[in-house]
Amino acid sequence: MKDRLRDALQSSRADYTEIRVERTWSSAVAFRGRRLEAATASEDVGGFVRALHTGCGWGVASFTSLDRLPAMVARATELSRAVRLDEPIRLAEVQPREADAVLDLDGDVRGMPLAEKKRLLEAYNGAMLAVGDRIVDTQASYQDEVSEVWYANSEGALIYQLRPEVVLSGTAIARRDGVIEKGLVSIGYRKGWNAAQGREAGFRTVAERAVALLDAPRVRGGTYPVVLDPELGGVFIHEAFGHLSEADFVYENPQAREMMTLGRRFGKPVLNVGDNGAAPGLRGTLPFDDEGTPTQDTALIKDGILVGRLHSRETAARLGERPTGNARALSFRHAPIVRMTNTYIVGATGGGTFADLIRDIKLGVYACGAFGGQTLLENFSFTAAYGYMIRDGHVAELVKDVVLAGNLFQTLDRIERVAGDFRWNQMGGGCGKGGQFPLPVTEGAPHVRIEEALVGGDVPA
Amino acid sequence: MIADLLTAVRRRAQAGDALWRREERTTLAFEAGRFKSAGTTEETGINLRVVKDGQVGVAGTTAADAAPDDLLARALASAALGEALNLGFPPPAPLPPVPTYFDTAADASLDALIDIGRTLVGRLDRDGCQVNVAIEREVSETAVANTAGTAGRYRGTGVAVGVDLTRIAGDDVLMVYDQYVAADLPGADELDALVRAVTTRLDLALTVVAPPEGALPVIFTPTGLSAILLPLEQGLSGKAVLQGVSPLGEKLGARVFDERFALTDDPLAGGRAASRPCDDEGVPSRRLPLVEDGVVRGFVYDLETAARAKTASTGHGRRGIFGKPRIAYSNLMVGADRKPSTDDRIPGGGLAAELRNGLIVEDLIGVGQGNVIAGGFSHPVALAYRVERGTITGRVKDAAVAGNVYELLKRIGGFGSDGRWLGSRFAPSLLLEGVSVARR
Repeated sequence: MKDRLRDALQSSRADYTEIRVERTWSSAVAFRGRRLEAATASEDVGGFVRALHTGCGWGVASFTSLDRLPAMVARATELSRAVRLDEPIRLAEVQPREADAVLDLDGDVRGMPLAEKKRLLEAYNGAMLAVGDRIVDTQASYQDEVSEVWYANSEGALIYQLRPEVVLSGTAIARRDGVIEKGLVSIGYRKGWNAAQGREAGFRTVAERAVALLDAPRVRGGTYPVVLDPELGGVFIHEAFGHLSEADFVYENPQAREMMTLGRRFGKPVLNVGDNGAAPGLRGTLPFDDEGTPTQDTALIKDGILVGRLHSRETAARLGERPTGNARALSFRHAPIVRMTNTYIVGATGGGTFADLIRDIKLGVYACGAFGGQTLLENFSFTAAYGYMIRDGHVAELVKDVVLAGNLFQTLDRIERVAGDFRWNQMGGGCGKGGQFPLPVTEGAPHVRIEEALVGGDVPA
Repeated sequence: MIADLLTAVRRRAQAGDALWRREERTTLAFEAGRFKSAGTTEETGINLRVVKDGQVGVAGTTAADAAPDDLLARALASAALGEALNLGFPPPAPLPPVPTYFDTAADASLDALIDIGRTLVGRLDRDGCQVNVAIEREVSETAVANTAGTAGRYRGTGVAVGVDLTRIAGDDVLMVYDQYVAADLPGADELDALVRAVTTRLDLALTVVAPPEGALPVIFTPTGLSAILLPLEQGLSGKAVLQGVSPLGEKLGARVFDERFALTDDPLAGGRAASRPCDDEGVPSRRLPLVEDGVVRGFVYDLETAARAKTASTGHGRRGIFGKPRIAYSNLMVGADRKPSTDDRIPGGGLAAELRNGLIVEDLIGVGQGNVIAGGFSHPVALAYRVERGTITGRVKDAAVAGNVYELLKRIGGFGSDGRWLGSRFAPSLLLEGVSVARR
């Protein structure tokens, strides 16, 4: 394969050319209720070429038939020529690497019979169903893959990566008369078969919670001190702040750049945020990004001050900063764009425990887990999976329909306390941007306390 | 290719079907007013389903060089674990005529597509705003066949033009977006409408006013309707009905909505990118009323859910290269008739004139989160205007709307005269009474 890539690069008439070739073996098992939906094994093969002529824009080609590689190099070159630019695209310097990055397959999923995978998931699905009659429906899925990715560019980079992934998820639907509630579990690792074992408890817990939510009142809408659990805290920092720190948001936009000026205060000194594509064993972890740049730990907010952002080679050159290894593509079907990897809020040294964090809250909300979140630049909305009222410094009754909405800048500034109990959320799913979904990412956070946040729910008329 | 595959299926299993699809896409991206990249995509793949010993299995591949035997072997391995199901495949039947392939779109040169982008960028140029334009043209060929003798084949084209304008002033970020999606290239009128849709929103949004509060009349424009329609789309899925999670499951024949409310899925709508003569399981396309005069008339099924529900597929099976077919709508249309838009210059299609105090919602944040199928929703607004005494007075920030779709649609305050396509959905503005509006 490496020879094929070298030959194709040599044939290119563009000033810069890069090629990715991927081969992915995957399997998937899904249950709905007691019924097996499907158990399948798939193979996906394809390539991607990106070419750049000096003074021109990008020419891009993706394809599933590898025989077409030389033709597609020519096509990408031709497309680049058609994109005439007055301001040329430049790429920040990256030392070209020749490397084989083979991650531990942790029990190669390709060697496991599909029947074993079905048996495993059937047990997890059964753990949800066993919670009782109130569980009227479940969805459970197991997905695994092993990918081989070759990357080469005309500057001399030649990288081979072998990486596994395994994702489990479960949804339990509880119903009583007209009331329907759900519980959601999601587990994802850049590991293999071994990491998928022993997960019954997680499935059982969400089914029990779905049943408990049937009797839980809706949270009363209003403004409260809100404590986010590490899962929701991670989702929050990814959605509400992380996307703004992707340099493609600002690099062509002077007003956005002003909003995101390095050195701007974004929060209290207790707030520290970063993105680390090199953290071992996480789903967002990659030795190299899809431009051949080594990944790294990038500080984004330090002591409340904006200190960094995430780059591709193009955005880095444009802003005169250094590439951070955040150019990622979902697959050979897509061009790399600036993406997060493993995004986190740093646990505060001496920040104490969750109990310390809520001790002086008379009335507040403890928001846990995430059903989803969306940001529209400075505005965000997050639906917690469930929550509890905090009364007189203690966790009190379970509440449902906890939706947090607000303005990013105000909300970040109201994070006054951060606990020391940092945790990565090893979840499935992924991040969506520019039509590329779901890209594996990881989020991590300790418990985080927002002094004042709007919680939707029953809105008093 | 799939004929050979099905021959092999007949030899080694009882029955089966397959989809072969080849797609070629051309994409152009203009970022911040600059033409930045041009791309092409070629993708070919096969999805195979087999029934062996009464059990169903599926496999897919894009490995064009893979031997058919390997794909079949994987499908058989899947069937060995698969569910026992009396899955019937549709026999050969005449396919309805529907134009899906437009030469003008298929043959449009790269330069012609670039011209569309440059024109839009020029017309949308505004001080202090960033304009992005994305153009995509797809040419596809689909073949679907089964062991019952059905063999459908058709070519299709699709064109999507998306434009967005972003305006950042201090910490106020305003983003307006619209798109054109159809089977053929946009004409001058369509490009005018696209430009107007974006600039109208931008102009109306420049003034920020305080949000109203309370239970109010709210106009959901065609772009703002997603939160209202999503629960219905989920609830009318035959799969949700089978699973017992649809609030509409036992309402077939019952009046659930305002008697003027209608919902139809029409895979034969002219000129639409989602139209097709048959679905991805070879079932001939037909127009399917889902709600008529406020009464629930039907649910959408694919072959598998139909077999389990002991009914017939409605022709709503869609399959990708990987995984098994699933239920999907084609062109979903809201309203009793498909009146073309009479006036799209003022959002709300004439409904705003009747409001003393209310809101027009163009876009919400977080649609699809939470417990959608139950019908409850609660979303901050992404783009909404305040209406006072029949006039739009400005954009509202920091407000949220909430309600229950099944309650709100029992009585619809009015249908706008601004019916339009948004992707594969056709809808006018709807005026809904008593929507909870909260400030924050």
